[in-house]
Amino acid sequence: MSIHLDPEGYQPPKLGLILLQGLVLLLFFIFFLRFWFLQIHKGEDFARQARENRLRQERVYAPRGLLRARGGELLAENRPAYALGLVREDCKDVASTIAQVSHWTGIPVEKLWAKYFKDKPRIKPFEPLVLAPDIPFELLARIEANRMLWPGLEIVVRPRRYYLQGPLFAHILGYVAEANEKELEENSDLALGDAVGKQGLEIVLEDRLRGNKGLRQLEVDVMGRDFNRKMVVEPEAGESIALSIDYNLQRIASEAFGAQAGGLVVMNPDTGKLLALVTQPSFDNNAFAAGLSNKQWAQLRDDPFFPLQNRVIQSVYPPGSVWKVLMAGLLLKEGIDPKETVFCNGEYHLGKSVFRCWKKHGHGKIDMVRALVESCDVYFYDMINRIGIDKVEAFARAYGFGEQTGLGLPHERSGLVPSREWKRKRFGEPWQGGETVITAIGQGFTLVSPVQVSCFIASLMNGGKLLQPSLLMDGEPVVRRMTPLDADQRALLLEAMRQTVEGPHGTAKVLRTKGAILGGKTGTAQVVKLKLKANDERRSFEEMEYWERDHAWMASWGTKGDDRYVVVCMLEHGGHGGSAAGPIVKKVYDYLFDEEKE
Amino acid sequence: MSFDRRLLTHMNWGLILFTAILFGVGVLNLYSASAFMSEDGIALGTFYQKQLVWGLVGMGGMLLAMVIDYRHWRSLAWPMFILTVILLAMVPIAGKTIYGAKRWISLGFFNLQPSEIAKIAAILIAAKLLARNAKPLEWKEFLQVLAVCAVPAVFILKQPDLGTTLNMLLNVAGIILFRGLSKGVFRTCLVAFPVCLPVAWMFMKDYQRQRVLTFLNPGDDPLGAGYHIIQSQIAIGSGQLWGKGFLGGTQSQLRFLPEKHTDFAIAVFGEEWGFVGCVILLVLFCCFLFAIFNTARDAKDRFGSFLAAGVFFYFFWQFLINMGMVMGLMPVVGIPLPFISYGGSATLVNFCLIGLVLNVSMRRFVFKTN
Repeated sequence: MSIHLDPEGYQPPKLGLILLQGLVLLLFFIFFLRFWFLQIHKGEDFARQARENRLRQERVYAPRGLLRARGGELLAENRPAYALGLVREDCKDVASTIAQVSHWTGIPVEKLWAKYFKDKPRIKPFEPLVLAPDIPFELLARIEANRMLWPGLEIVVRPRRYYLQGPLFAHILGYVAEANEKELEENSDLALGDAVGKQGLEIVLEDRLRGNKGLRQLEVDVMGRDFNRKMVVEPEAGESIALSIDYNLQRIASEAFGAQAGGLVVMNPDTGKLLALVTQPSFDNNAFAAGLSNKQWAQLRDDPFFPLQNRVIQSVYPPGSVWKVLMAGLLLKEGIDPKETVFCNGEYHLGKSVFRCWKKHGHGKIDMVRALVESCDVYFYDMINRIGIDKVEAFARAYGFGEQTGLGLPHERSGLVPSREWKRKRFGEPWQGGETVITAIGQGFTLVSPVQVSCFIASLMNGGKLLQPSLLMDGEPVVRRMTPLDADQRALLLEAMRQTVEGPHGTAKVLRTKGAILGGKTGTAQVVKLKLKANDERRSFEEMEYWERDHAWMASWGTKGDDRYVVVCMLEHGGHGGSAAGPIVKKVYDYLFDEEKE
Repeated sequence: MSFDRRLLTHMNWGLILFTAILFGVGVLNLYSASAFMSEDGIALGTFYQKQLVWGLVGMGGMLLAMVIDYRHWRSLAWPMFILTVILLAMVPIAGKTIYGAKRWISLGFFNLQPSEIAKIAAILIAAKLLARNAKPLEWKEFLQVLAVCAVPAVFILKQPDLGTTLNMLLNVAGIILFRGLSKGVFRTCLVAFPVCLPVAWMFMKDYQRQRVLTFLNPGDDPLGAGYHIIQSQIAIGSGQLWGKGFLGGTQSQLRFLPEKHTDFAIAVFGEEWGFVGCVILLVLFCCFLFAIFNTARDAKDRFGSFLAAGVFFYFFWQFLINMGMVMGLMPVVGIPLPFISYGGSATLVNFCLIGLVLNVSMRRFVFKTN
């Protein structure tokens, strides 16, 4: 092979040689400076970041406090719930994995994608992003069996609140649900997916129930696999709290309502502790804890019987004749002699208006006790008209009407005690004399809640203390204020109530219970305003549409030995108090005073 | 032909020395990079062993490249080039798809990657074409070389393998720069380069654009595309002055570091050996490049000199791009770091090219006696 040589011998290009040497030096200086910058100048900083990378601090779930009934029956506990999560880093094909999850769970693909994109910024690629928050156990087995085929899918076990009694205690306990954006922002201790109280005792007692999360330090690799777990702060379980509610009583009272709507309160008059707090119909709070679907929510919201309404504290009704007990108290306080009589001929005339007694032909000459026992309207029309609305208002307020009782559940309504000023503000009209007259028998504008009535009745029994009702076993009784009546006056009202049960003409005879002393007062609250001047016969109960029927009240107390109770029942559209609400209250006393109990 | 002692005395022994040191450092580092913490303590992968085997294979390739006089290689440049193009053309038809890219042809016992051979072939053909005369490069020759090299480049780009395409074209550009171009061509190129950038952007795939954007602002998506860059800088930076010690790197052993055997291997080294170790490694790289430079300077014919320059650029660009990428100075491009990154065929090619440079250096005397 011939070799072609340059005639003058090969000379490498000078500029080329300089270029190569220059490039080597450039390489050296660029990276010398870069190494210096990364390792010396910012070395500390990166070393810290490396530690943080590796040492991960993890919040350790603290079990939420249990809720129990008075007798120790478990009402709310924590059970494991299985969620399906997606670890993005391990997932080869997100689209088809999501399609498969949709296939398994029946959740539409669009919904899964929406959740995926919503949570993606908050969740690290090696952490599971929860797609389906709750998987039934049967499905879990199926998914577990096929999980190998779908890398990146992970079953996440999370504690979920479970309410063992569901609807029976739903209105008392309320429920927990996933913390929303606002709650997450307000409490840095909460993490995405944590449950917080949203309703009932769950929200009121949130701070006691939640406990404190622990802190665990993990040395982790990038997959989140951890070595050297170390508990830095032990988690503190939330406080377990006992309710004053008697589980069996709650059940019996609740069942006594059957399909009827209404509410019932059983209170210890000396302590204010509630033994039952029933509202019917109710709902299953477990549905909320599991995450309510839109459909379920719409169903609950649009139910004509309002199962979400706590009728004991959130519904207010005209008190009907139950109000007469309070009005009788007012008369005593104003110095009216209880022996003083009024003649009832069945109607009362004020100006051109005629106000009828429920008893068409009247009660004849009637004094205070008989007026209460037989629930004479004319006696109270006449007497209260003498006293005037201003004193009625002040007296009703002194007994806690028109204000929240503070029993410790959210959204309690305070009801309405009408006054001249209120009328002027509300309607721009002056107060009418006839309005005082109907206020005397608990019709008209006045609105009260069953729990307010309970507090009033309790004050007659406990020496005049207006108590704050309580749902919890612990805590001393809280006296809101002392009420105006003296011991003799209270005794007289109680005696009148006793005769209402025991007397031959009493309207609450249905309550009579062997071996116990009971007192009661019935009430019938008109839902549809009767035309007071019209001479029409009242339509019978059966002739009315359900929604037009009167609400039935029964306010009562009972004692046997040392046991003392106040029971107030309100039956929506139930008709007459004695016949409709009475039997329910009777069942409550039967349980309370049952010899066989314990 | 009897063995000539001068073949040994003229041998570029410096190059052999630095190659050996770098290869040793690489295997050591791979040993550490293969270690990861598991529940049972530290477990070892087998990458370093495989790398050792590939090193031996590479040495065979190096000897082959040395033994045949490089002027024979020059004659073989065209046949080799054409064979490479044929192999590249076969890849889309008969190729194997691994990790979503079609780069391999299965030979049963071994997956051949024609783009690796193309790197050698491109350097040989460019050196041959450019060595025809000594005048500054004019348009005609410039376009000729460009046209020839564009053929394999297009095939490799289609695989897709941006890193290899870039490396190959930059090597050719390096040889051209080394030789020197006429003022007209040089000026036109200076102007054309910035004009080409937006055009290149248009041809880039979405993920490639994303890499560029991520490079410009890695904090944008710290858990996604920016993750590699952030983690590798944390690993290197946390090494500080003295490093965490051999096998002491927590970032790599706990697998925060992605691709720590391959493209990001230098981060493992940086974490464990610190600034001191990194500067020593950097000096080794520079000495290695200078050793190749010596051969380019001392070669006795233009082809040999250009061949050495091509090899110089082959290594230079990989050092620059890989370290720039790992240290956040450049967008993420899949180019390994010679000797430090794990890679079978890359190791083989590295050794073959070093063999060619040694070939040039040891045959300097041939001209002296003639």
